[in-house]
Amino acid sequence: MVQKMLKVKDGDVSGAINDFLRQLLSSQKLQALIVPQAMPSQKTTFPVLVSDPHMLHAAPLAPLLAASTAALVSRMTKVQAAPHPIGVVMRSCEIRALLELVKLNQAKLENIVIIGIDCLGTFPLNTYVEFPEKQKPTEYLLEQWKKNPDALDKYLRSACRVCKDPIPTNADIVLGLYGTDIEKQIIVEAYSDVGKQLVEHVKLEEGKDSKERQKALQQVREDKTKKRQQFLKEKAGIKGIEKLAEFFDRCVNCHNCRQACPVCYCKECLFDSSVFDAEAYKFLRRAEMKGMLKMPTDALLFHVGRMNHMILSCVQCGLCEQACPNTIPLMDVFIPVAEQAQKEFSYTPGKDKDEKIPLIVYKEDEFLEVGEK
Amino acid sequence: MSEDKKEQKKEPFEPKIVGFLCNWCSYAGADLAGTSRIQYPPNIRIIRVMCSGSVDSMYILRALLEGADGVFVGGCHPGDCHYIDGNYKARRRMVLLQNILETLRLEKERVWLRWISASEGQKFADTMNEMTAAIKKLGPNPMAKHWDL
Ligand code: SF4
Ligand code: SF4
Ligand code: FES
Repeated sequence: MVQKMLKVKDGDVSGAINDFLRQLLSSQKLQALIVPQAMPSQKTTFPVLVSDPHMLHAAPLAPLLAASTAALVSRMTKVQAAPHPIGVVMRSCEIRALLELVKLNQAKLENIVIIGIDCLGTFPLNTYVEFPEKQKPTEYLLEQWKKNPDALDKYLRSACRVCKDPIPTNADIVLGLYGTDIEKQIIVEAYSDVGKQLVEHVKLEEGKDSKERQKALQQVREDKTKKRQQFLKEKAGIKGIEKLAEFFDRCVNCHNCRQACPVCYCKECLFDSSVFDAEAYKFLRRAEMKGMLKMPTDALLFHVGRMNHMILSCVQCGLCEQACPNTIPLMDVFIPVAEQAQKEFSYTPGKDKDEKIPLIVYKEDEFLEVGEK
Repeated sequence: MSEDKKEQKKEPFEPKIVGFLCNWCSYAGADLAGTSRIQYPPNIRIIRVMCSGSVDSMYILRALLEGADGVFVGGCHPGDCHYIDGNYKARRRMVLLQNILETLRLEKERVWLRWISASEGQKFADTMNEMTAAIKKLGPNPMAKHWDL
């Protein structure tokens, strides 16, 4: 790993990152970049695919994850790998999701240059758009993060509040914010050969001691782990059929959660398929069995069924929860289920692209008690 | 007769069990139990499938949420699957399903996977005895009364 420093002038952190990205794009080594950028209204930011360096005005620190770049890279590379290098600025959960999609043959990493950025957390889209504080969300984030990061918790999405790891792994380049005074300098780490070659094209200063960064990373990871355990304790009560029925009773079967989920890739979801179309008499028979039937039907079946299909790849990004029009706090259930299921198979989604997803492999002599007793 | 009276005269609990049996082994095993006139409780409703590996967890959940008191999946013994490794994959899916049911406290004890070969008519009957007794002990599936799922 090569560590360098990116100088920040006049405390303009975003300006410095833009400068860095612009130099990369102008170097001709990258054909384009995918970065979050403010929409003309300035109310939201979305990932954009930029090819003209002059049009690059990235908002890499804006606390908003409108869509997962993992799904976007999948769209662009599923059929054919990118012909020329494209840089993609990604948060850690997006990288994890992309690796899962690669394993699922839904994306190709060739010519995708992952530029990871330390994540300071994101707000729900609606909170971001109608931010109640006087400052803009990004200014507020940066100020609070420095002063008292815990104060951010009231706005952070729960997925971010208890994030498994906000530090990118498996990136070619990482822009480090933890363990440095970002108003003076940002840490630039190059991991892969491609990353190392690319940073040669940017004006950077030599990095020094990384001890401070290591300490800061340990600190944030510990902090998140504590909050995560607290969260799991708090949500332990949402169990059993009574509680689960109540938890999902405002679900309207729109399946937006699945649509927003980066790892739910199926072209036609089983739960949207004709499997669920049936003659009236079948619905009537179901109604007769229980006396009546909530319509639309099968909301809980959809959620628990979806878990059975994808929970081992769930990167806990919380985009499902953000997408729900009825504000069902899906992470309250998905985080505990993902934790337990992934533990059962000793599997960490997004950790290693060469590791196989547990449901497509098996060993002959495993789980012997299942099937015998 | 009022509803209450009807309740009081309730029959003893007879569990409804939905069984997915693979064509090549367990279904043949069940058939053998029948043709050999081995007695076993009539609680299972058998659905023949081509392989235990073809039973998506969604179908098991569907049966449970609709109120089945138990769901049984039967496949060939490890190494004997007609499609080579369908049962190994079914086993991993069952581990996942039971893990999820456990986390959600949705009575994973109602879902069983067993290996029964075409010649094991007796084992099929024994397993049905065992499962019916276990589910009777668990009592009726509370989901049977939930119209709000
Ligand atoms: S289920 Fe939700 S938290 Fe998990 S990967 Fe999908 S969108 Fe993210
Ligand atoms: S987005 Fe919300 S309402 Fe729509 S299917 Fe998912 S949980 Fe239900
Ligand atoms: S054919 Fe019997 S388990 Fe596959």
